[in-house]
Amino acid sequence: MSSTLIKCFNLAKTVRAATVKGFLTSPQQQWQAWSAAALQTPHAQLHTSPARRDLMEFFDDKKHWSENEVKVGRAWRTDELRIKSNKELHQLWFVLLKERNMLMTMEHECNDKMEIFPNPERVDKVKISMENLETVVRERNKAYHLLETGETGERPQKAVKNAFGLQVNYKMCEHVLPPFMNLKWIKSRNIGFGGRAVNRFLLKYREQLYNAKRKAKNRSRNEVMMILRRNPNFDLDVLRRKFPDVNVDKLRNEDKARGHYVPKVDV
Amino acid sequence: MSSRWYPIYQRGNPQLRVFLPNFWMKLIRPAEEQPPNVVTFSVSMEMTKYDVRNYLEKIYKLPVVDVRTRIALGDTKRDQTYGYVTKKDDVKLAYVTLPKEESFVFPEMFAEKAEKQAKEEKSLDESKEGFKRFLDRNKKRPGTPGWFSI
Repeated sequence: MSSTLIKCFNLAKTVRAATVKGFLTSPQQQWQAWSAAALQTPHAQLHTSPARRDLMEFFDDKKHWSENEVKVGRAWRTDELRIKSNKELHQLWFVLLKERNMLMTMEHECNDKMEIFPNPERVDKVKISMENLETVVRERNKAYHLLETGETGERPQKAVKNAFGLQVNYKMCEHVLPPFMNLKWIKSRNIGFGGRAVNRFLLKYREQLYNAKRKAKNRSRNEVMMILRRNPNFDLDVLRRKFPDVNVDKLRNEDKARGHYVPKVDV
Repeated sequence: MSSRWYPIYQRGNPQLRVFLPNFWMKLIRPAEEQPPNVVTFSVSMEMTKYDVRNYLEKIYKLPVVDVRTRIALGDTKRDQTYGYVTKKDDVKLAYVTLPKEESFVFPEMFAEKAEKQAKEEKSLDESKEGFKRFLDRNKKRPGTPGWFSI
């Protein structure tokens, strides 16, 4: 209980040091507090936690070493990252990188010593933050390239057929030699696939796919008929919604959909 | 544009700049005894000696004298029941030499843990005992509040 109180107090102190109104809503993690403090250039005169510049940066705070629980905030969201400048994002990336190294070091040591690594979800939170940051950077890159060149600037991709005749997505890359000079590549394309064996394989492969599809269709068709047979007053709209690829109205008149009873005839 | 998509490097071009490096480095306890100024790291498999040096100098602002790397083979293990072999991943280890006057000792992080745990357990046991005593005392008069006692 007392340790939690102390933690809360420390957290409050850090947040006060940062004195950012907007930051109160954003994650209250210590490293994020540091990063936010580092990012506040107008408030640079404020004292923040001093940067440690030695190998102890690879380890967690000393007071967390024998803790069973280390409380941290949530990951950075894309919306929060979108309002940051490029420079801030660049700085945050290195904060996250250091945090990840620290967590990995601690995890490794805990595993070595057969101890429990407290709050392993911290690693995931850093990972999510880094992914989000990269997404935002990529968005900006894309926008810039579209504006300047009319293209996204993404790595070009195209659909090609592999040795089995199946379509795969090929990510293109730059080469030193143009294709007509690249003899090794030309030779590698002459190994002779795409013949009879590939055609036979494709025939059977497609047959498998077709059979799977056909069986699925028959299954749902039979299911609808059985439902109608057992429950003659079943709501047809529900059936239509649940089995969109089955013609329910047609199946109603099927022999299989009729129950083993004498139908009631209105007199 | 993906931040992991770089143009091909040709001789004479400027060096490629990595703006968002995604290399990781773990500081690990050395398996063998090392000189006091040598630190052992487990690093991303793609990292070269130059990468390790730049990483430490530029990001962590550490003075680096020398870097040696090696790839440690992962352990293989035979399954006891079925006999198949499993292998752990290989890891790249980097031995970083700091200047002569620097020294680093890998900290003992769990020295106080056992002590602390014993203390916590002791206090828990004490409170359990206290509650038991309270229950025993109030056995013959159920429902009486805790303060109603001699």
